[in-house]
Amino acid sequence: MIKIENLTKHYHASQGKVEAINGLNLKVNDGEIFGIIGPSGAGKSTLIRMLNLLEMPTSGTININGTNLTELSSQNLREARQKIGMIFQHFNLLSSRTVLGNVAFPLEIAGVKKKERRRKAKELIDLVGLSDRAYHYPSQLSGGQKQRVGIARALANDPDLLLSDEATSSLDPESTKSVLELLGRIRDKMNLTIILITHEMEVIKDICDRVAVLENGKIIEEGSIIDIFSSPQKNLTKKFINSVIDFNLPERIVKYVKAERPGKLIRISFVGEKTHEPFITYLIRHYSVDANILYGNIDELQGVPFGTLVLDLEGQPVNIKASIDYLHNQGLRVEVLSNV
Amino acid sequence: MFDLVEKLARYNDLMISGSLETLYMVVMSLFFAIVGGIPLGVLTTITRQNHILPNKSLNYILDVIINIGRSIPFIILMVAVIPFTRMIVGTSIGTNAAVVPLSLAAIPFMGRVTDNAILEIDHGVIESAQSMGASPLQIVFKVLLPESLPAIILGLTLTAINLVSYSAMAGAIGGGGLGDIAIRYGYQRFQLGVMLETIVILVLMVQAFQFLGNKIASFFDHRA
Repeated sequence: MIKIENLTKHYHASQGKVEAINGLNLKVNDGEIFGIIGPSGAGKSTLIRMLNLLEMPTSGTININGTNLTELSSQNLREARQKIGMIFQHFNLLSSRTVLGNVAFPLEIAGVKKKERRRKAKELIDLVGLSDRAYHYPSQLSGGQKQRVGIARALANDPDLLLSDEATSSLDPESTKSVLELLGRIRDKMNLTIILITHEMEVIKDICDRVAVLENGKIIEEGSIIDIFSSPQKNLTKKFINSVIDFNLPERIVKYVKAERPGKLIRISFVGEKTHEPFITYLIRHYSVDANILYGNIDELQGVPFGTLVLDLEGQPVNIKASIDYLHNQGLRVEVLSNV
Repeated sequence: MFDLVEKLARYNDLMISGSLETLYMVVMSLFFAIVGGIPLGVLTTITRQNHILPNKSLNYILDVIINIGRSIPFIILMVAVIPFTRMIVGTSIGTNAAVVPLSLAAIPFMGRVTDNAILEIDHGVIESAQSMGASPLQIVFKVLLPESLPAIILGLTLTAINLVSYSAMAGAIGGGGLGDIAIRYGYQRFQLGVMLETIVILVLMVQAFQFLGNKIASFFDHRA
């Protein structure tokens, strides 16, 4: 488990003191893919680089599986770092080494024997699907392939934790998908903990179990993907979610809301198996209201259906109230958009 | 025409021994430039702020040494270090004696060239090695030197060419080599043919060094 307590990082820049990270607390469970999202300048990079002490914190502790990194001697820190893999936005491969040489590099640092290095490196190159590129140089590879080499290299010393610093930010959408898919597969196979930072909500939506939203060096919201996506609290979080799932009502509906009409306009948000339940049919049958579907949107969050529906309910006010209560009791989030 | 060839051929032995002397001086000084200059350059780079072993005062001293070495005109350096040359070689005349000032000029030059070559490496690559737990020594030998090898080889080529030109100057104070021949025969005895011949040989020598340097550098360059 990774436990970060009261982490602070201050810089002294020419404009004065810059507080990149401000008393941050975070817990990441084993085997979890934990995403940290934030706008540029929020301190994401500083934060992830402190997790292997590439950046020294001003104060606070970073505890990885019971070891407080900030207390280690430089020798012990180097050993601890071998168990923390890291991948980078710009891959940072050695241009003078082939794919095989790059993947074997961390093993060389760890003092593994040559024969074993080769065996292990080949196995990892296989795992990331680059067997036919083992003797190519990085300059001969595409961005997606380079990141696969980066991943294979980060896994060479069987780390417990993998840090991903905007690893897909310079990739095209297709390579991004395949790299994320690979990360997910590796986590399942090796029971790895992955902490990733990104500014793309798509990445969070695709592979993260939990997410934290970072703003001005502080975590402003944190939770499971489903919770955050279904009920974001902070504006920034909503903005990020809107970039992948459009919660805003189309202009047509907004006009409709403003218009004078009988009945009530409600928005229902639902997550998971509830989407399989025929609640609208039930509503019509039992509460004698008319339900007109004005707008709907169903997406998937890692295989879990997730969506919103805008209904126009017409009927006796008592019945409408009863039907809204019914929906509430079903565990759906109901929001009344108009009250005529 | 035949006359000319016969005239030139008279100096064949002289030209061959002169070329060999020049080559000897260049190669020997190049050897010391590698042995002295590359470590000097590496140490200068890694002690910079934000590099792997920041050390402000050491970096400052090394930087000053390199700059002083590079700012003294070679002809002055050559004369100034005569006592030192005598101490080491026992004499201040001859090719071996010339190697001393040549090396002293080549070491700081090579130091700066190495420093620049290593600075060209993307800092992210160095950080990735640190993130794997590499020690500073491992970073120097497994990252910095291999990654900057093509640039260092081109720098060595540049140093070699500078040394060819400096060695001609060394000839002026009795260092031997082609420069010595050009001055004694071409300048002092007005033998224009000899002068031209040494120039042609020097031009060819420089061309050969550059060609070879480019070839070797591109062999090690995989940056596309």
